[in-house]
Amino acid sequence: MLLGCWQRYHIYAFARWLNFKPMRDYIVLYINGKECRVAGADAFLPLSSYLRYVQSATGTKVVCEEGDCGACTVLSGAVSGDEIAYRPINACIQNVYQLDLRHVITIEGLKVDGELNCVQKSMVQNQGAQCGFCTPGIVVAMCSLFDKKCESKTPATEEEIRDALTGNLCRCTGYEPIIRAGLETNTEEAIALRALYPSRQIIESIGKHKGDAPLVQYEERIFFGPQSISEAVEFKAKHAGTTIIQGGTDVCVQMNKRGFDPKVIMSLNNVSGLNELNVEDGILRVGGRATLAQLEEKVTQLIPEFADILWVFGSPQIKNAGTLAGNIVNASPIADTIPFLYVMDAEFELTGSKGVRKVKADSFYKGYKKLDLQSDEIVTQVNIPLPKKSSTLKLYKVSKRKNLDISTFTAAVVMERENDQIRSARIAYGGVAEVVLRLPKTEEFLAGKKFTEETFVAAGKIARGEIRPISDVRGEADFRLILAETILEKFFHECNEEQAAWAR
Amino acid sequence: MGSVGKDIAHDSAVGHVSGESIYIDDMAFAKNELIVDFYASPVANGKIVSIDLTRASNVPGIVGLYTHKDIEGHNKFGPIIADEYLLAEEKVEFIGQPIVVIAGETRKAVLAARKVIDVKIDVLEPTLTIDQSIARKQYLAEPRFIKRGDVDAGFAEADHILEGRFISGGQDHFYLEGQAAIVYPGEYDNLVVHSSTQHPSEVQEVIAHVLGLQQNQVVCITKRMGGGFGGKECQATHPACMASLVAHKTKRPARIVYNKDDDMSFTGGRHPFQNDYKVGFTKDGVITALKTDLYTNGGAANDLSTAVLGRAMTHADNAYFIANAHINGYACKTNLPPNTAFRGFGGPQGVVNIENIMEEIALFLGKDPFDVRSANCYGIEERNTTPYGQIVYNNLLPALLKKVAETSDYKNRLEAVKKFNQTSKTHLKGISITPVKFGISFTTKFLNQANAMVLIYKDGTVLVSTGATEMGQGANTKIRQLVADEFAIDPNMVIMAPTATDKNNNTSATAASAATDLNGSAAVDACVKIRQRLAECAANYLSSDGAGISPSPSHIVFADGNVFDKRRPDKKLTFAEIVSAAYHERINLGERGFYATPGIDFNWKTGVGQPFLYYTQGAACSEVLIDRFTGELKVVRADLWMDIGKSINPGIDRGQITGAYIQGMGWVTTEELRRSEDGVLLSHSPTTYKIPNVQDMPRVFNVDLFDNDKNDVNIKGSKAVGEPPFLLAISVWTAVKQAIASVSKEAAQKLKLPATNEEIIMCMATSKKSALASAKQTKA
Repeated sequence: MLLGCWQRYHIYAFARWLNFKPMRDYIVLYINGKECRVAGADAFLPLSSYLRYVQSATGTKVVCEEGDCGACTVLSGAVSGDEIAYRPINACIQNVYQLDLRHVITIEGLKVDGELNCVQKSMVQNQGAQCGFCTPGIVVAMCSLFDKKCESKTPATEEEIRDALTGNLCRCTGYEPIIRAGLETNTEEAIALRALYPSRQIIESIGKHKGDAPLVQYEERIFFGPQSISEAVEFKAKHAGTTIIQGGTDVCVQMNKRGFDPKVIMSLNNVSGLNELNVEDGILRVGGRATLAQLEEKVTQLIPEFADILWVFGSPQIKNAGTLAGNIVNASPIADTIPFLYVMDAEFELTGSKGVRKVKADSFYKGYKKLDLQSDEIVTQVNIPLPKKSSTLKLYKVSKRKNLDISTFTAAVVMERENDQIRSARIAYGGVAEVVLRLPKTEEFLAGKKFTEETFVAAGKIARGEIRPISDVRGEADFRLILAETILEKFFHECNEEQAAWAR
Repeated sequence: MGSVGKDIAHDSAVGHVSGESIYIDDMAFAKNELIVDFYASPVANGKIVSIDLTRASNVPGIVGLYTHKDIEGHNKFGPIIADEYLLAEEKVEFIGQPIVVIAGETRKAVLAARKVIDVKIDVLEPTLTIDQSIARKQYLAEPRFIKRGDVDAGFAEADHILEGRFISGGQDHFYLEGQAAIVYPGEYDNLVVHSSTQHPSEVQEVIAHVLGLQQNQVVCITKRMGGGFGGKECQATHPACMASLVAHKTKRPARIVYNKDDDMSFTGGRHPFQNDYKVGFTKDGVITALKTDLYTNGGAANDLSTAVLGRAMTHADNAYFIANAHINGYACKTNLPPNTAFRGFGGPQGVVNIENIMEEIALFLGKDPFDVRSANCYGIEERNTTPYGQIVYNNLLPALLKKVAETSDYKNRLEAVKKFNQTSKTHLKGISITPVKFGISFTTKFLNQANAMVLIYKDGTVLVSTGATEMGQGANTKIRQLVADEFAIDPNMVIMAPTATDKNNNTSATAASAATDLNGSAAVDACVKIRQRLAECAANYLSSDGAGISPSPSHIVFADGNVFDKRRPDKKLTFAEIVSAAYHERINLGERGFYATPGIDFNWKTGVGQPFLYYTQGAACSEVLIDRFTGELKVVRADLWMDIGKSINPGIDRGQITGAYIQGMGWVTTEELRRSEDGVLLSHSPTTYKIPNVQDMPRVFNVDLFDNDKNDVNIKGSKAVGEPPFLLAISVWTAVKQAIASVSKEAAQKLKLPATNEEIIMCMATSKKSALASAKQTKA
């Protein structure tokens, strides 16, 4: 009780400090076209629980509660100009407060005039559902694909369908009937989601709440949704223990599974800007809340090797929520982007109350989950120098399953060479120590050596000595040592072999 | 035109694609409903010293905490051997064994109580592996034997003898819907149980047994499951019993839903096996004798282990005639959660053993494994008796092997694979064909029975209920088609009711691929009886009013939704009209049907019998691509051929084939149950336990049904399809073995199942140098 009073005072004081900027003590989201104002305990629920147990919308299923199965897939629509852009996300690892001012479409909201839509019809006709438990998630993910097809009316390719469904596990069908359902979906009938839910009305309605930042409290928890970086930094400075939940793709898993229970939470979802990506002077600048999906789209042409890693990195649902900054700050030694950022000599812009500070990727990590990041600082931009035309960049992610799996081992190699002479190499390994490692001895050894198999075999032996892997559920230490040693041979052979063995 | 044989949509498809299908946890919360969970043993083996519930009982919202002392009936039960406890008494024998049942007003309260339950356990050293169990002589049951011929003479006759050991790992069912049940208490202690189970009658029976009720006081209803695969045959019973205990004690509705992590950690899965073998063969690769000891890791209680082992033993021959065979089976007792039924039910584990032997023989002789398989394949007229004495009738195995080799262009692709392996520095390929012969029927004779109830209403619509439960496999859709055809009506006029023990009593589990065979036959039996009565009624009706014919039921035809007399085809009644007429004539429009599979039996004392009504057969060719440095594996192409007789619903059957193959592919490649030294399951969610995803699907995936209209022993000439195609994925594992063998025979011999990337790399690591050397040599 005492704590409650204190908190309330605190919020009041905070509001005053922000010059009485108007605040909302509730979250506003739209579900299948209807406005929902959510305050108190419900605002802190995972969206899937809110849908199932508060709204009795039980079509959204929950299986893994960690974003790895896709049964809970819903579409999240964010205002983008005068339209709403819908993207599939995992409702089990999105808390309600993350969806402030979003329009959520669930499986219950996908029929057209009470009739099955073109995807649903095709799923029925092609026996795309067996037990049916994954089916709502599959249908939602597939509808997102066909939403993009509603103008061109072109049929979906097998590759597009697979890529749309990477985040949806099915244990019954072997996927083949589902793919067939996608291939046979009648795109002539494809209806745009913005026709199903006229954007203008929702945007107008959202507009009424846009000016107010949500500050929601329940028991000892506070959620704040700032509208600018300065507000965010000020809030973070005031509350040293603030947890930023952006995509939430890792934090929410920890909340669901490992009892992590942050008390002061902030999301940057409503901060204007911060989600841009652009290239200036040979440097790719990635905004702090740009999603991995945006990044993948951007680098497909620019850095195809990085795009390939992002392709296997996660599902569309994860990439639509997760951000590059989140991957960086989450600081996992097996984070898939970090080895790349190391070898490209990327730089992080950290904005705090004293202004902007820049840190190099490979000096940002001080130990297991220990960062060179002050309590008031936020990663607001990531600057990645583009690879030179003359250099060879290769990225590796070794995991039990190719797609949507957490890495056992990761590696990034960028090399400059003249004919058969290596000029320089930068190498980073992940999954081999408590942080991602650069391999200075191996790099030093390679500089000036002949570009031969023997060189890389010898380099592998040095690399093996520079790491200290452990055994865990994803692999034995010995396996990681072998990978660390031989991945450089793989690099050598791949430079020589034209063959693209891994077709998507 | 009937509907049998047509690709008709699954009867729940519209509900599934719109999210309107209702599963247990989708049912609306009743007033006063309680949430149920349990405190599970955190250790694999130990003695319970004390249970302190004081703190837990003080958690706000906690309504009840129950231990074995609160059980009024029997705490001990089991489907074959009564060796399981609902709640642990003096000792705990596996991680996840329930000790205390918790009932609370909210999930939050229940989770809080679970954290503060204080159980002191003296931890004992657990037995986790088959080797440990053998060393400690811990078995669940007496060993079993199948013996035929004279193995010593067979070995004497052999040109070569090989001995080895083959190890296959477990597998989690990974049904998407976790174990779940809701129980509503009624008057006089009666209970209505909604359970996500493949075996409503067992749930009913065990609840009555545990609570000390009569079986007629408990009704178990199963609308559908979000996947089963065998995992909800016996192990749905425990959650349903725990919720029933709460409902019975508190007289309040009670709901239990396992989350994925608990479900994976605490319930059993596919049995791991460790098999020793000694095989004698001629210089042409023909087996002269096989002695094999199959050891299975059954876990802490028998569950279905002895039956699973039995099926492994009766499938240890797979498609091959073995004149002199000695197959021994041992069910090891360990401190893992009891392993249970899982699609294939030991069949895959028995079959992969002989398929590995085929590979070993081929490797030894330097032959194409396909030729070794063909040389050993069961014959049509001779060499066609299994080691347990059943003749392989309608043997299509040689034809299937030939067919798949042709359509997959096996010989040419094998050459291409060899060339690829000689030149690629980064990748390896392997290609392999394996056949499957899978026996259909429960090997326990009395389970091969089913009953059905068919009700026709006054508007001509039909409601059918059988003992078959629907887990996605489409049994209900097929039975719906069978019933519709009996009356020549549109299948949309037939609705399949939820399976319920008050409509269908003493049902067998929906298992052994036989749900449609058994329950479909029972439903047809009921339809035939009603149709006869309708025909009599129609005969009178259609011959009246000066039709100029005498009443003759044998002339009555049911066709296209109409009923008419063959002699006066112009005068038609709709089905609804004849039903209405029959009702007014006071004719019984409901019927029970029954079916018992004829002519099957098996004697485990002698290891001889006719356990199967028929065999479902198939063959597959799989090609794999492996990264030499990371072990990453991709199935690039699969060609599957299945003989499933005359399919009742080719669309649904095709889905069973693709689904089973991919699930089998998971078993042999990426699905690995990794445990700590204490027996804690480390891979207990999809983050760490990797079932195939959509990207793992072979890019070329050909599925064909083999023409066979000769299976006249089963309903409409069809064959069961649920499990057999799972075994086609063994060709993926043998392809991996061949890929590895192309660089090192020694490495290939070490390969275990599953062939994860780590397993592949670790096998090849020791022979790394020779791998590179061979690549070099061939280039020069």
